[in-house]
Amino acid sequence: MNERVIRGRIDRSGALVSADAPLLRLQQRAGAGLDKPLALPHLARLVTLAQRLHRDISRPLYAADDHSDIHALVRITPDADGASLEITDWRTRPLSQPQTPPIAEGAVVPQSWAWECDQQLRIVALRAAADAPPVPEGWEGRSLSELFELQPDDDGRFPVLRALARQARFDGQRVRTGQMMMTLAGEALFDATGRFTGFRGNAVAAEEQPAAQQRNPGALVDPAFGSLPLSDPQFGRRIDGALRGPLSRIIATAETISGQFDGPIRADYARYAGDIAHAGRHLLGLVDDLADLQNIERPGFKAARDEIDLGDLARRAVGLLAMKAEEKGIRIDAPRTDDRAPAYGEFRRVLQVLLNLLGNAIRYSPDNSQIWIRVDREEDRATVTVADQGQGIDAEQQAVVFEKFERLGRTDSGGSGLGLYIARRLARAMDGDLTVDSAPGQGARFTLSLPVRDDDTRDVSNRS
Amino acid sequence: MSESVLSPGIDPPSPTLSARLHELADYLTAPAVGRLTEEQRALALGIARRMVMDIAARLDPAIDPAALWNEWLRGGLPSAPRLAGVCFARVEEHRWREQSTQRSSPPPLLSEPEAANDEAPPVGEALSDVDQAYLALQIADRRRFDALGNPAIAIADLDSETFRALLLDIAAWRLAEVSKDAKRAAKLGDAVRAETDRHATESGIADAGRAYHEALGADAADAAAAAIARHDWPVLIALAAAAHRRSYDDMALALLTAESAALPSLFAPLRLDRLALAPIEASLAMLPARAVGDDDHNECRSTERVR
Repeated sequence: MNERVIRGRIDRSGALVSADAPLLRLQQRAGAGLDKPLALPHLARLVTLAQRLHRDISRPLYAADDHSDIHALVRITPDADGASLEITDWRTRPLSQPQTPPIAEGAVVPQSWAWECDQQLRIVALRAAADAPPVPEGWEGRSLSELFELQPDDDGRFPVLRALARQARFDGQRVRTGQMMMTLAGEALFDATGRFTGFRGNAVAAEEQPAAQQRNPGALVDPAFGSLPLSDPQFGRRIDGALRGPLSRIIATAETISGQFDGPIRADYARYAGDIAHAGRHLLGLVDDLADLQNIERPGFKAARDEIDLGDLARRAVGLLAMKAEEKGIRIDAPRTDDRAPAYGEFRRVLQVLLNLLGNAIRYSPDNSQIWIRVDREEDRATVTVADQGQGIDAEQQAVVFEKFERLGRTDSGGSGLGLYIARRLARAMDGDLTVDSAPGQGARFTLSLPVRDDDTRDVSNRS
Repeated sequence: MSESVLSPGIDPPSPTLSARLHELADYLTAPAVGRLTEEQRALALGIARRMVMDIAARLDPAIDPAALWNEWLRGGLPSAPRLAGVCFARVEEHRWREQSTQRSSPPPLLSEPEAANDEAPPVGEALSDVDQAYLALQIADRRRFDALGNPAIAIADLDSETFRALLLDIAAWRLAEVSKDAKRAAKLGDAVRAETDRHATESGIADAGRAYHEALGADAADAAAAAIARHDWPVLIALAAAAHRRSYDDMALALLTAESAALPSLFAPLRLDRLALAPIEASLAMLPARAVGDDDHNECRSTERVR
């Protein structure tokens, strides 16, 4: 509610002799002004009424101008010289209200429950229609997401949670309660101050009962929203898809602004846009990492066994990151074109590991330094090593550098702390390994080893 | 029929004619007094029907509620004078709430959705006594609607005498149906006793209001002021009823039929000043066909129609 008080004064003849700005504007839009008779008919009638009754009255006030209806509350205090006006709760609403048909009211929905929850999604009402199954016992005050197990829609979204964030109506929220599938729809509720107070709607029994799905006992339980199938790969793919598109658009738009492609803008604004693009790329990287993480931690994950050449893959990785290295003046000493290391591994996964190793080397190397990439063979292992001139990693850090979310105390926005963990998991999934050899001040050497492919006649051992 | 409304020599009328002549006689007795509107009649009849059906279902699920109600519709409700007060209070409260809902401003457009939930405590946090009591009050209030959102009277909210009278009337109707079956008749008697005992242990909105009022302690005035600002009338009525140690229905009826000058005394125990009461006065003034003989109210209604 708008607590500001708008004051006005009417003299004995009914003229408005003083008024705060909103009231005066309204009087002017009605074709009058100060020291002119009150041109707002409803208000004028209320003033007359208060004067006739010789006492204060408080009434709703309605007025209108060209573009809006005005609702307010007016208190009129009559006295011997006229009357004083105090107007509060001044609300303006557009002339045409968007008409949204109510979901829950009026229509008889068979096989349904009527429910209402407060703004914390606590159920305050639950009643079954005449032909509906009985409502569960003990629903009073329970969380909606506890009473109804929320199911994502085809896009991996939860309509009720989106509606909660937007404080808007929703429908099509599939839920399970007991062995029954239902669909929830609800209207957002607001009180007179415009405060969101919850939802009211129907839960309609779904026509087809899908076969009962086994709940994953390890599913994460969110205290707000109950059980969400976070560990379900399908759910992960949907979240991945849902995030990647918007993030890519954010990055593209921010880069357009940052690059001033549509015309010059203030330098600090361009810099902010650059920051947004940077943060967006970081988030996108995190989405990639989480998608990978979910994939490789799935029981039975196994990489493909392609015939690959580590030398070729190393050169491809260098080609992809050369620009980034150049920005820091870093020179990459890549394997020569005839340096080959035939091995078995999944092509794109090995490239992913090498990009991670080389990306880290660039990120943590000093400007104008050098990075070496060497391929080699050790017995039945083909190896590729990425070495840099960074600050190096001590023995204690080497023990944890492959742990999940380990960033060795770094707090910059450069990574998620998942890259090396994922890289090692991938290497091991290809029957290989990823190791580190380093000492403080002497840079770091990460070596990826994979099963050697012996049928090739020209391997790295022949290089000069 | 206590008194004939027909001239001597006219044949006994049909029930419909008789009812209409009685209505006319009542009208001619006091033509200036406002009558029930069609909306009030329909709401009251619906509330009574739902109440009778709820009690019948409790007494014996085998009762055909439609048959019971149709018979009572034809012959009249046995406890009509007793039901009139509670039904009318519920009707008027419902009309008032509906009016507030329809006249409230549209919700704000959210540019920052999260900003709107700044008042909300984190989900999962244990509720304070006050919040728990408020939640219980909301639940008790929502029990006063049927599954379609129509107003109803929760059985727990009925006073024991009215409940018992209705229970016995319904049992008597049922007894006429099953009188040949002594076993079922005896069972019906047991059910009446069991439901009477059960009703004595139930708590309704008045109890929830008292608990909320008690939990609030010195903050009751602030909570009442907030309820007024939000047009949360059931909470306001419940707090006022608790402060006056009156039943919820009594308080609702007192408030909804009060003249403007009587409002301060109604809310005196909640220590609300006159300015805080202004929205109530304004809102009540808007309610059409309110049962109050207040000149300024009537005048205001006429200005409303002109507008």
